[in-house]
Amino acid sequence: MGRYAFYPGCSAKGVCKELYESTVAVSQALGIDMVELPEFSCCGAGVLEEIKDVLDVAVNARNLAYAEKAGRDIVTVCSTCLLVLRTARHHLNTDEELREKVNRILSESGLEYRGSVDVKHFHWVLLEEFGEEGLRKKVVNPLKGLKVYPYYGCHTVRPREVMNYEPSENPDSIEAVIRAVGATPVKGERRLECCGFHAFWPAPELSMELTGLNLKDAKESGADCVVTPCPLCHINLDANQAKALKAVGESFRIPVLHLPQLVGLALGIEPKKLGIHRNVVKVELATLK
Amino acid sequence: MEKRRVTFRIRRFNPADGRVRYQNYEVDVVKGMTVLEVLQYIKDNIDPTLTFRAFCRSAICGSCAVKINGYPKLACKTQVVNELDVYGTDTLTLEPLDNMDVIKDLVVDWDPPLLRMNDMKPYLVPDPEVVPKTAEEESRVSPEDHKKYDRFTDCILCTTCFSTCTAVKLDKGYGGPFQLARIYRFAVDPRDAVKEERAKIGFAYDMWKCVRCQKCADACPKHVAPVDGVMKLRGMSIDVGLRNNPGARHVFAFYKSLLESGMLNEVLLPLRTKGLKGVLENLSVGLRLLLKGKAHSPIMKPIAEHDTLRRVMKAAMEVK
Repeated sequence: MGRYAFYPGCSAKGVCKELYESTVAVSQALGIDMVELPEFSCCGAGVLEEIKDVLDVAVNARNLAYAEKAGRDIVTVCSTCLLVLRTARHHLNTDEELREKVNRILSESGLEYRGSVDVKHFHWVLLEEFGEEGLRKKVVNPLKGLKVYPYYGCHTVRPREVMNYEPSENPDSIEAVIRAVGATPVKGERRLECCGFHAFWPAPELSMELTGLNLKDAKESGADCVVTPCPLCHINLDANQAKALKAVGESFRIPVLHLPQLVGLALGIEPKKLGIHRNVVKVELATLK
Repeated sequence: MEKRRVTFRIRRFNPADGRVRYQNYEVDVVKGMTVLEVLQYIKDNIDPTLTFRAFCRSAICGSCAVKINGYPKLACKTQVVNELDVYGTDTLTLEPLDNMDVIKDLVVDWDPPLLRMNDMKPYLVPDPEVVPKTAEEESRVSPEDHKKYDRFTDCILCTTCFSTCTAVKLDKGYGGPFQLARIYRFAVDPRDAVKEERAKIGFAYDMWKCVRCQKCADACPKHVAPVDGVMKLRGMSIDVGLRNNPGARHVFAFYKSLLESGMLNEVLLPLRTKGLKGVLENLSVGLRLLLKGKAHSPIMKPIAEHDTLRRVMKAAMEVK
């Protein structure tokens, strides 16, 4: 079993606290050695790069350095945190000049990044530690008959150069988790399309149209619910669902689960501990009764 | 060498009759064979009417980009067997690129995206202070300066990024990934005289509408990652004073949050990004979050060792 430093990111600590709750509940149930480091800061969600390249890399080198000091790989439940941390790590590991520059910045705080920390998504860890079969064996409440839309979004798979985990044209990790919990993944034509979250402020119409189209595809594919590994996608798909569906002329509702919530239900964890009651679109699935 | 029978399902379109159809071709493929070699094989041996563009066969000219199972790639750089393995199939669907009109079969009309780029000043405007008047004198660029734009000069205008761009698909006013990356390439060239204007051009072409989906970075066969150019051009627009817009204000909201507590203050984000308008536009969603117990206090406790973060940020901002 690997040793992990839990990097929840701002949304799991903020407006998606049910993601935090469900991740902690699932990792405890599975006995994953995962501790949250209190020194972790916001990754900047990529926007720090818009102020200055080196600012983005230095802030995240600091995060990596604390994990390295603790001798743990980072595990996050936010796809954008994953992208930003992995991008910083990629630059630091491949550009020696940059690493020296950033380490000079870190040294003022007695920190150093030597390059030994990996950054993983929570569901990658589930699959790496247990495998699809192993995970299935832990399931006490198989979610039989539940049709789940595997919504990847963007930052768990792209760009391949930085992610380097599974083929970005045709990933299977979320489907593997869905299969492991006894549910059925639907095809998901738009599973790799963007939810538009990162353009929400400058271009809300664009953002809502994208999310609406994704939800519409989920409905048309016959899914009972959507599962996502990203809290930012979740905000758009769940909290903004009414607005997004209005943008594409629809008015149905479809529940959207965080990936650890789906796993937690199958592990028999009480829905309340998974924060299911906090999801904006009510989660009424036959499998919960 | 072991052969594998593969079905190529190719989208056909003939402007003479305006009909779109998919036609299947069976080809025995050996390991190492590229999609372009298959297309040429079909044209030479099965169907001379199949139309596609190709030239260099070396991923340099950018003319053979097509969609392979929905994903834009250079046909000459893509090996058939690798694709079959990725999709676990013996059928590959080949289609023309998206976001452009189809001229015939796999050939699309490049003119609109290229003309758009032409409108965005995609060339060096020599700075008389830096560029010598005669060809006898050198116009030197330091390795550090060269590094800033080197990658962006690798673009071969294959339009795979344009084909896959989320913003282009839904917003006709958006400048486009390779176009904006090209503008950035000149904006950081030390020989250029109109750097400020370039950031303003990016702004006028709605660069803040980039959703950062990373599709362009993933698809680019030359590893240019146009999105990185877009992000950097946004930064330049802030530097030249285009600060009072939701994109720029969003950036500062993050910066401020990190200095204050180290974590993003999501509750204050609407106000900080869009002012009162942001609050009003998102009032109903905000209330829903509040009712579900999802909102945090607007006053946030700093992370442990917050001082080290502030020091790191300060030092990073001072780096030249």
